[in-house]
Amino acid sequence: MTAPESIVVVGASLAGATAAATLRDEGFEGAIVLLGAESSPPYERPGLSKEVLRGEQPIEEQLVRPPEWYADHEVELRTGTRAVQLDTGAREVILAGGERVGFDRLIVATGCRNRTLAAPGSSLPGIFELRTAEHATAIRRAAAAGVRVVCVGMGFIGAEVAASLRTLGCDVTVVEVFETTLYRILGPEIGRVLEGIHRDHGVAMVFNDTVASFEGERRVEAVVTSAGRRIECDVVVVGIGTEPSVELMAGTGLDQGSGIPVGPTLETEIPGVFAIGDVADHAHPVFGAVRVEHYDNAVKMGVAVARNTLGAGEAFDDPHWFWSDQYDHQIQMAGYAPTWDSMVVRGSLEERSFCAFLLDGNGVVRGTVSLDHARDVRRSFGLISARAAPDPTALADPDVDLRTLVPAEEG
Amino acid sequence: MAEFVTVGRSDEVPEGEATAFAIGDQEIAVARVDGRLYAFDDICSHRRCNLALGGEIDGTTITCECHGSVFDLETGAPENPPATEPIAVFRVREADGEIQIER
Repeated sequence: MTAPESIVVVGASLAGATAAATLRDEGFEGAIVLLGAESSPPYERPGLSKEVLRGEQPIEEQLVRPPEWYADHEVELRTGTRAVQLDTGAREVILAGGERVGFDRLIVATGCRNRTLAAPGSSLPGIFELRTAEHATAIRRAAAAGVRVVCVGMGFIGAEVAASLRTLGCDVTVVEVFETTLYRILGPEIGRVLEGIHRDHGVAMVFNDTVASFEGERRVEAVVTSAGRRIECDVVVVGIGTEPSVELMAGTGLDQGSGIPVGPTLETEIPGVFAIGDVADHAHPVFGAVRVEHYDNAVKMGVAVARNTLGAGEAFDDPHWFWSDQYDHQIQMAGYAPTWDSMVVRGSLEERSFCAFLLDGNGVVRGTVSLDHARDVRRSFGLISARAAPDPTALADPDVDLRTLVPAEEG
Repeated sequence: MAEFVTVGRSDEVPEGEATAFAIGDQEIAVARVDGRLYAFDDICSHRRCNLALGGEIDGTTITCECHGSVFDLETGAPENPPATEPIAVFRVREADGEIQIER
């Protein structure tokens, strides 16, 4: 393909804004249009469940770039502008209202939306979700010390919200479909360690149960569960997972429930059309098809896609990494391990300080999880990328530097 | 006038590692890369994590272990988000087996 003259980014997000900024850093002098459905300039979301929710930092401190950065760098940032359709023949994005924006290269960073509960009463005031700055502000206004909150779902968002609201002095009860916290990502053993931390901080937890309905006259007053519990409350925060926002790709065959499929270089099967961040179902050179919703991945895919729209042609092979801050504890995870056959622990689950290695049936390190033991996760990146299968005794030995266990490259 | 104050012994900063020293109420980290010393504010500009403790040195950068911010040891400039603000850097020298930082 010829060198691009215009690049359109759909999604004024961390990934999208990073892509735009990298294009300028790489010397691209053509037109860049950054389309965002939200009213704010691009901002980072990790603080929404933590510092912003606790009122410690305003949203202005979460901006990816200062508001004036975009005009200063001739990036046409159009907030409050929703792209609704892609015309692949004309190579144009169609906006709500019908305006068409042409492109030589398109970067789709439309992210995810939250799954919603269909339970009766779910539209009552006092029931919140968390994805945007506005959501965080709304929860913050509703949740003061002594307010009774039910968190539905104890994945990472639910767990961080529960921790932040407990820290504010709210009375927090959790309703979770699985048998413990963070079960789906971290499994039962590590999940129970986190469960213990939340219990020690005074969070009440109901497991193996779901919301049957919400009760209330003008506002939510109680959650009724499938097992028949009735939990009185003032506020509900629902965090039961996400689904990728793929509507833009309707008619292309790329609007898959698993995300927008992209090859190793982040390009879709439509030449010159790329997808990054939470919405991208990426053919990862090490992990296979994988879609993640990590901060670090959004940044790194933003950088990589910018280079690839300009012709670099580089496979994106980052080993994936994320963190979760809860109370004064930090979880970190690297790699991709939807399932694993065995787990080796360095440190101690009981003492809540460990790095756990998630191994497949061949002893290959597919992922690492730490609790307040972050250095070993960072040092495991090489093992994960190399698909290494080190001696489990060495993995468990805190005196062994994980970087020394990466096999030398062949050839 | 600038003066150099002793913060610790040379052997407290092995090659490829960083060590934090307290100077008054300030925490300053010293790293050694290819024999050369770099001194910088030990507190990450993002969420105030200690950089020397668990931070990973790669070339002349350090990566904060909490959230992955990367800083240039020479200039203090943020090289990778989430940090957007630089960290302070200081002139540093070794004399008679001691590490000294300019104040």
